[in-house]
Amino acid sequence: MTDHQGYRELAAPFALDALTVAERAAFEAHLAECAICRADVQAFREVAGALAYAAPAAALPAELRDRVLREARHVRPLAGRRTVGPWLAAAAALVLAVAAGYGYWWERAARDELSAALVAMRARLDSADRLVGAILDSTVGTADLAATGKAPTMRLYWNRARGLVVVAAFDLPPAPAGRTYQLWAIKKGQAPVSVGTFNTLPGGRAVITLQMPAGFKPDLSAVTEEPAGGSAQPTQQPFLVGAWQGG
Amino acid sequence: MASQSDRALVERMTAGDDRALAELYDRHASTLYALAVAIARERADAEEIVADALGQAWRTAAQFDPGRGSVAAWLATITRTRALDLVRARGRRALALERAAGQSSEGLAAPLAAAGEAPDRGVERLEARQLVGRSLAELPEPQRRVIELAYFGGLTQTEIAAELQEPLGTVKTRMRAGMEKLRGSLAQLLSREGP
Ligand SMILES: [Zn+2]
Repeated sequence: MTDHQGYRELAAPFALDALTVAERAAFEAHLAECAICRADVQAFREVAGALAYAAPAAALPAELRDRVLREARHVRPLAGRRTVGPWLAAAAALVLAVAAGYGYWWERAARDELSAALVAMRARLDSADRLVGAILDSTVGTADLAATGKAPTMRLYWNRARGLVVVAAFDLPPAPAGRTYQLWAIKKGQAPVSVGTFNTLPGGRAVITLQMPAGFKPDLSAVTEEPAGGSAQPTQQPFLVGAWQGG
Repeated sequence: MASQSDRALVERMTAGDDRALAELYDRHASTLYALAVAIARERADAEEIVADALGQAWRTAAQFDPGRGSVAAWLATITRTRALDLVRARGRRALALERAAGQSSEGLAAPLAAAGEAPDRGVERLEARQLVGRSLAELPEPQRRVIELAYFGGLTQTEIAAELQEPLGTVKTRMRAGMEKLRGSLAQLLSREGP
């Protein structure tokens, strides 16, 4: 258990998004086990939301309404309820805490997603033990995977001692029916080696543990979409690519 | 037709009903746009921010969690985050931050009062503007300033302390005290908007 007295002052700045990434991660861990702070945060969030009404009035451009509706007609809403399992929420919280240590890489939206998952999970961390061990290790290497010219939508953690790769995906729509995503490890000048297949939840997130082939030391990792069950070699150009760093 | 709750509109959005989005726009866009202008300053940027924010709300309506707060607060959070991200991506400071840094003791509430009441579609929104504006104006100036720097300026407490050249502990105390007071003075508004 973390100590409520040491954290209660953080509920207001948390709701105002005025904590540093490290403070925020620490407070979120406390939130998971403190109902008083969760209630405070919810109340202060409503106060913060109401502050929008304090913005000086500005005349709304007439054409904006059509633009919003036109753009919406081209995109379907993401399907599915918020059905984050406790293990995933716990893993998401851990990834968040670790990401804080590695620097400010999540989009703010991603952090909000993760903190929502964290608040939802309560204190059920038990089944995430393996993930904790895999991620919170000083020898862990990381890779941020992104489409060309885009912000990263996936982070990989590679625990070399245990041969585990934790995949944390954000904003990646699930693969179509009969298809799957496949993660590849690539050593320059050699054929890609499959690390495993995975899929994301309807909200576009996933935290999954895969096994890195023993003794293999890749320079890059990449993701392709493959037929269900995966392929021996990529059948398409990867749409996410990133280099391994650290560890 | 009786007017539906915001939550019912979001529910319809998850089914791809764009008339629900239109209704949500009519209820909240003027507030969101004012918020975007307050942070990003440029009107073209503010349009982009509101269009993107409502696009995000449309796509992710299924993830709206009433347990975390009202639809209005959800939309405001998305808009504020996008506005601050855009300002940072441009390497600029938020308009509100510039204003707060250079201001005497008037804060954002002063331009609010000076702007008068722009055409606003709902009496409730008008009341909310007046209540929030008044509640902020009634805060002691140092408390109001740290809250405005955080919300409209996007600063952390540590950054606010540096900006104001005050001890961090002082900033924390002021922020907590100010938010507690707002929680009390806005209670009526918040309970009405709640789930
Ligand atoms: Zn607590």
